[in-house]
Amino acid sequence: MRKTRLFPALLMVAAGLAAAVPATAGERGGDKEAFARGARVWSENCTRCHNLRDPREFRDDQWRPIIAHMRVRGGLTGAEARDVLTFMQNAN
Amino acid sequence: MPRQATHRRLPALVAAAGLAALCAAPATAAEGEAALRAELEALKRRISELERRLAEQQEAQQRVEKLEREVKEVAKTHSEWKDAESVLHVAGYAAVGYTDAEGADGSFNVANFNPIFHFLYDDKVLWEAELEFEVLDDGSTKTNLEYTTLDWFVTDNVTLVGGKFLSPAGFFIQNLHPAWINKLPSKPAGFGEEQAAPESDLGLEVRGGVNIGNPWKLTYAFYVANGPSAEGELGGGEIERIEAEAKASDEDGDKVYGGRVSVLPRPGLEIGVSAVTGKLMVEDGTSEDKGRDYDLVGADFSLVRGNLDARAEYVRQRIGARAGSLWPDEAEWKAWYAQLAWKFRPTRFEGVVRYSDYDSPHAAEDQRQWALGLNYLLAPNAVAKVAYELNDGQSGQPTDDDRFLLQFAYGF
Repeated sequence: MRKTRLFPALLMVAAGLAAAVPATAGERGGDKEAFARGARVWSENCTRCHNLRDPREFRDDQWRPIIAHMRVRGGLTGAEARDVLTFMQNAN
Repeated sequence: MPRQATHRRLPALVAAAGLAALCAAPATAAEGEAALRAELEALKRRISELERRLAEQQEAQQRVEKLEREVKEVAKTHSEWKDAESVLHVAGYAAVGYTDAEGADGSFNVANFNPIFHFLYDDKVLWEAELEFEVLDDGSTKTNLEYTTLDWFVTDNVTLVGGKFLSPAGFFIQNLHPAWINKLPSKPAGFGEEQAAPESDLGLEVRGGVNIGNPWKLTYAFYVANGPSAEGELGGGEIERIEAEAKASDEDGDKVYGGRVSVLPRPGLEIGVSAVTGKLMVEDGTSEDKGRDYDLVGADFSLVRGNLDARAEYVRQRIGARAGSLWPDEAEWKAWYAQLAWKFRPTRFEGVVRYSDYDSPHAAEDQRQWALGLNYLLAPNAVAKVAYELNDGQSGQPTDDDRFLLQFAYGF
């Protein structure tokens, strides 16, 4: 139940971050910026194929190969994959 | 002794005892004071010892708390879970379903299990493989290696992929076919096995994504592979079917080359084009016709915004004629679909409508289909689907039978 409440909240946070963070290629920063960029990548790219998956679904270590798979399948850049991994590992 | 004499001596005795007591009192008080002083000193020493121990404990406690804070800070960024160089993860999906078609009795006809293995080494190399287990009509179990690839992340924008991979030409097969992703219980007409859309191939692939200017993005996947083959009959009228599933041999010696490029002008909007060219061999089991032209063209579109999920895709595979050949002439398989899905938020329901059209060299396989579906999303990765297909095919063929379908799919 807690998960189902948190997930929509997370979506709203991600949407807010997506609006707030410019999608500048190659712009790198600290973990907070990576987290925000990752939230944007997550909200904009995952739905190209499927429903958004909850970051709380998997442990930090499990997200690594999953995001690597998605990098290949979804055509993510390495930087985007690292950002979205930062987001998933810190939002779970 | 007379009693009177005793009475006279008693005061004297009392006086003597009092005098003796007075003389002895100073010595006893001094001893008591000394004892008290000793006890006081002992207590002072004990208090000092206790204060020292307390200070040590407080210092130790502060060190422990500091260490705990450091451990928590370090754990945020480093842990044996996060930092292990090799990580194995098992993902996949499963589906169960029921189908009731006009020309057949209804049956529980779907029981699939597709485990997917991911093995990542140091964020540089990923091995991924999907197995498919499917219960067939006769009760046997079909097993299939859907794909197995080694992916080498060469740069941020380039990944080299080798092995058996889902065909990079087109979008539905490589990205949308898993049951928990596909919004209807069935695939669009023409996107099934040995139909218009190729399934897989064995070879090398280079793929990746590039940001080409905010917010534009480009993805690409180019490959060289053994390519498909086809079945026909020497002197016969038609090519029976095209087998566009990966083979670990290339009997005609000619590879196929192609891929897909997509642009994303804005988040949620993607437009892709696919093309493949090469040669293939037509065979009938005893003889063969090598060097036949093979071409594929495709285009796909998707728009995902808010509650809307709109998709469309076209694909055409063609085998060319060869001058002087006694084998069947050219043949063409083409299909397209358009699909609209809408999430009825805040409920968990989702409505889907899809139209698809498949044309093959064989009229009995041609099909036009409307599919209407209603999904209930138990979770983003678990969906119960109910759908009805209005099928229009050659009269008397299964492709002409309308169908009612139920499916429950779970991606894990």
